[in-house]
Amino acid sequence: MIYEVFARKERGEPLHHIGNLNAQDDALAQVYAFNTYDEERWFDMWVVPRDRMVPVFNREAETGGWWARETGPGAASSAADAGSRAGS
Amino acid sequence: MTAVTDLSPAARAGVRDLVLALADSKRLLGMRYANWMLGAPELETGIACASMAQDEWGHARLLYALLKDFDEDVEGLEHGREPAAYANMELLDRAPDSWAGLVTLMALADAALTVQLEALAECCYPPLKQRVEKLCEEERFHAAHGAAWFRRLASGGASRDALTAEVTAAAEPLLRWFGPDTEEARTLVEEAVMDAAGSDLRERFLTRVAPLLDSVEATDHFRAIRPDFEGFDPARRRPADTAPDEATIRQVRGDANRAFLMD
Repeated sequence: MIYEVFARKERGEPLHHIGNLNAQDDALAQVYAFNTYDEERWFDMWVVPRDRMVPVFNREAETGGWWARETGPGAASSAADAGSRAGS
Repeated sequence: MTAVTDLSPAARAGVRDLVLALADSKRLLGMRYANWMLGAPELETGIACASMAQDEWGHARLLYALLKDFDEDVEGLEHGREPAAYANMELLDRAPDSWAGLVTLMALADAALTVQLEALAECCYPPLKQRVEKLCEEERFHAAHGAAWFRRLASGGASRDALTAEVTAAAEPLLRWFGPDTEEARTLVEEAVMDAAGSDLRERFLTRVAPLLDSVEATDHFRAIRPDFEGFDPARRRPADTAPDEATIRQVRGDANRAFLMD
């Protein structure tokens, strides 16, 4: 499973995306992120499974964003399309 | 500050033996981790193994250096000893031949070393006491990595069977490593070399790893074991007639490339 890694250097800063990693579960993802991305003195660090990220929109997706689900035919496939792009 | 010469003969010998046992164990454990930098189940865990190997070799180097004040030849300790002189944990004598074997070392053998290190947090010999905190801090990552993999393998299937077999076989050597409850061990506690020894350390270790042992239903097996101390060498913390294999020590000493060493 692919996890995206986020971190920030100071309290109050926005989280920055700093990379990704492969791990079989959350516990291993935590360990790998701590070990792999330890070059900086981070304030905090987070990991999230890529397939748990909820797509909002993608400008290159022909079927549009999440609103397509609400506004017309093909809505289900457009949401799935956006989802598969986030997970790719 | 307390110098080596201020220690009683018993404390002096105790600190020296303990530091060498920890240094030798960490040197071999580092090599076991290093051997899985390539070939681990995931690239990320290979990176973690590399990092842990680096930590363990750093700890070993630091511990060996302490022995200079005990009139030891540090270079000779690191590169001039035969296998029978090594004081490493028995479990590290041979390379694990499976990932489940390495996870057992990571989650249990490394934890046993840390339990012993923590018992030195208030050691009467300041140079050792001062180094323990940093070593234990770095060990927290090893423990997290070991526990995560242990739980992963314990979650079911063939990996659980393989892990259970490794853990079961490791039980007695692990528990024996803390040593028997002797007068000498009690003296080291009374003289504040360490704050516990023998059975007390075994109990701390069992409490520390209980959640992991529970996950493979090995707690009762560990609790039932009374380690066999017949022929036990208290200085090397292992049966006197045992030693790591020749190939391991050749690699640890760096025999193959010592000829390239330049002053």
